[in-house]
Amino acid sequence: MRRFAFLFTICLVFLNLSAQSLFQDAGKEAAAGEPQQPALKLNGFARGVVFGGGEKYELATTFAEVALQPQLRSHSAFLQADIRLRKGVFFDEDVQLIDFKELYAGYSSLKFDLLLGNQVVSWGRTDGFNPTDNITPKDYFLFTPDPDDQQLSNFLLRAKYRFTPAVELDVIGVPFYKPSVYKYDLFDMGANVSFAEQLLPEKKLKNSAVAARLNVDLPAAGWSLSYFRGYDPYHGFEVAAVDWSTGSPVITNRPASYLKTSWGADLAVPLGAVIVRAEGAYNITENPDAKMYIPMSDFSYVGALEANVGGLTVIAQYVGKYVPDFTSLVLPVLTDPLNPLAQMQYANAMIDYENRQFNRRIFHQQERTNHAVALSLTKSVGYDAWELMCTGYYDITSEEWMIQPKVTYKISDALTASLGGNYMHGPNKTLFGYASTIMNGAFISLKVSF
Amino acid sequence: MKTTIISILIFCAFALTAQNAREISHKYMNATEVGDMEMISTINIYDAKGNVRTRQISTASRKFSESTKMLIRFLAPADVKGTALLVYDYEDQDDSQWIYMPALRKVRRIVSTEKGKNFMGSEFTNADMSRPNQQDFDYQLIGETTLEGRKCWKIKATGKTDALKLQNGFSSNISYIDQQTFLCYKIEYFDMSDKLHRIQYITDYKKQTNGKYFAYRMTMQNVQNNRKSEMIVDKFQSGSKLPENTFSPAMIDKF
Repeated sequence: MRRFAFLFTICLVFLNLSAQSLFQDAGKEAAAGEPQQPALKLNGFARGVVFGGGEKYELATTFAEVALQPQLRSHSAFLQADIRLRKGVFFDEDVQLIDFKELYAGYSSLKFDLLLGNQVVSWGRTDGFNPTDNITPKDYFLFTPDPDDQQLSNFLLRAKYRFTPAVELDVIGVPFYKPSVYKYDLFDMGANVSFAEQLLPEKKLKNSAVAARLNVDLPAAGWSLSYFRGYDPYHGFEVAAVDWSTGSPVITNRPASYLKTSWGADLAVPLGAVIVRAEGAYNITENPDAKMYIPMSDFSYVGALEANVGGLTVIAQYVGKYVPDFTSLVLPVLTDPLNPLAQMQYANAMIDYENRQFNRRIFHQQERTNHAVALSLTKSVGYDAWELMCTGYYDITSEEWMIQPKVTYKISDALTASLGGNYMHGPNKTLFGYASTIMNGAFISLKVSF
Repeated sequence: MKTTIISILIFCAFALTAQNAREISHKYMNATEVGDMEMISTINIYDAKGNVRTRQISTASRKFSESTKMLIRFLAPADVKGTALLVYDYEDQDDSQWIYMPALRKVRRIVSTEKGKNFMGSEFTNADMSRPNQQDFDYQLIGETTLEGRKCWKIKATGKTDALKLQNGFSSNISYIDQQTFLCYKIEYFDMSDKLHRIQYITDYKKQTNGKYFAYRMTMQNVQNNRKSEMIVDKFQSGSKLPENTFSPAMIDKF
């Protein structure tokens, strides 16, 4: 309660400052000569979404949702919210919730911004693959036509300072850790494998995350340097327990988070009709006890070319990862098949091996150097009423691939229909191999904006 | 000898006409050069059946030392509200452009090689939203006519190269320029096959405090598909006191 009182206090302190520009006043309805009042604007949308046709669930996700996005603003002070009221069925479970996707107050001037509350932060100049984007967790199992729906906000304090119009320093503190959502419990990993609830780091300041980014945007090029220190939302999992009471192993896995330090950089350079983008981060982890859920230190990098060819926007990306201290996992060998103790040791070693292997797949650390490519094609037709989009991804190292076509049609200014699909494929025991039974399918969405 | 003299005379006449045409066009550009400004405008887009879609934008433009910087913010419809476009327009090099889309939560640098693309789904093109670079066109005075009681010159502007024609989305246009005020009231655009494609009607000129004129209404009629778009200036302010920081990529995501 105190926290909310503080948020509103920040907001109210700066009320009653008047705006001074036609451009800045656009959309406000104050009569000429009247003092500018704090402006409350309400936007949002309502929609229905159906995703289905997969192997495991005929209708994996069906829901209706209202998004209320009020803004209270008076010149330099503002309050912003994105409140979702959602009701539906997700993987055979009835869900009815009120979600504050974003709720924050702030002060914003030409030189300085200060924002406090639940916010989504999106860093990085490449598309969809962002090694420097470590703050905002994702819900990878919320299927909608809009990728932004997968972004989950954190409570955070954010300060931005602009040294010049082109140079900005962004500093962020995240007091409490929030992990990304993977629903591995939905995967068909065998009847003897289950997943327990994640143990989150204690809510203490020593477990908080800090991040900073120096961003430069000049006409000739834009680039940034960034730093992150904290628990990675993109977590792994550990073997919490192995129960041998039935004679065969019953394995309980548990999501587990790890600390990392990440130094990153990104770049965008226009070269005639093409934009070259690049982004990379050196991720440093410490793992003296060889925990399976902690990845090895690595260098993640993305190189991209974007061009517009006859109205078709083409984005081609290379996604790579280099693991300097890579060591291969050693497949256990049963040395004495007739010895029950050796059999037990072998079984435990195999459980450990398989789960370490799966964590490496999650972290894309299957080889010392890992490669993937992605291609995205977008075209607007019919006076922008139709948007056709197709994204493809191929992981050269693991041989997993995915394709996502989507068609969006603006039926009217307020009503938009989307139709699309998701098809992924991967070899046995790969992420895409497991996920394909759940995530392959088609979606349709009808959205009214206001 | 006689042939040579006639050729020289014809060449001189042609050069004089071209020079006059360019000067007239330049005077029109000069008469409507409002410089720094802020405005709110509405675009109504009518399809061939008369169904209408409406967009509203706010625009601010200021000239700084190295470029003219323009910020366009989309106010309506609701699904694009909050989208913003920042353009640095240089005299001697390609524009720099950034876009902010709320759904991406990122400011993205973009390259726009398509000046001929429809602006916000209307009959106007991106090229129509900015002042043409006179160096890209050859000008020709092709006649005189009377338009709604105004005696006008007909000036034909033809793209100098095929690449420029493709980039602008038209091969040539004919402007109807008032002989007294040097204001343009009508422009006919011809497609790459030299067929009449669009006709722009420019009306409601108002004199600004700096003596320049600004058109408060433009209508673009597509004669090939019977679509029509009209841009109406709801509010206009000559001059702008917005500081340079406002025209920076770091600021375009501010609502």
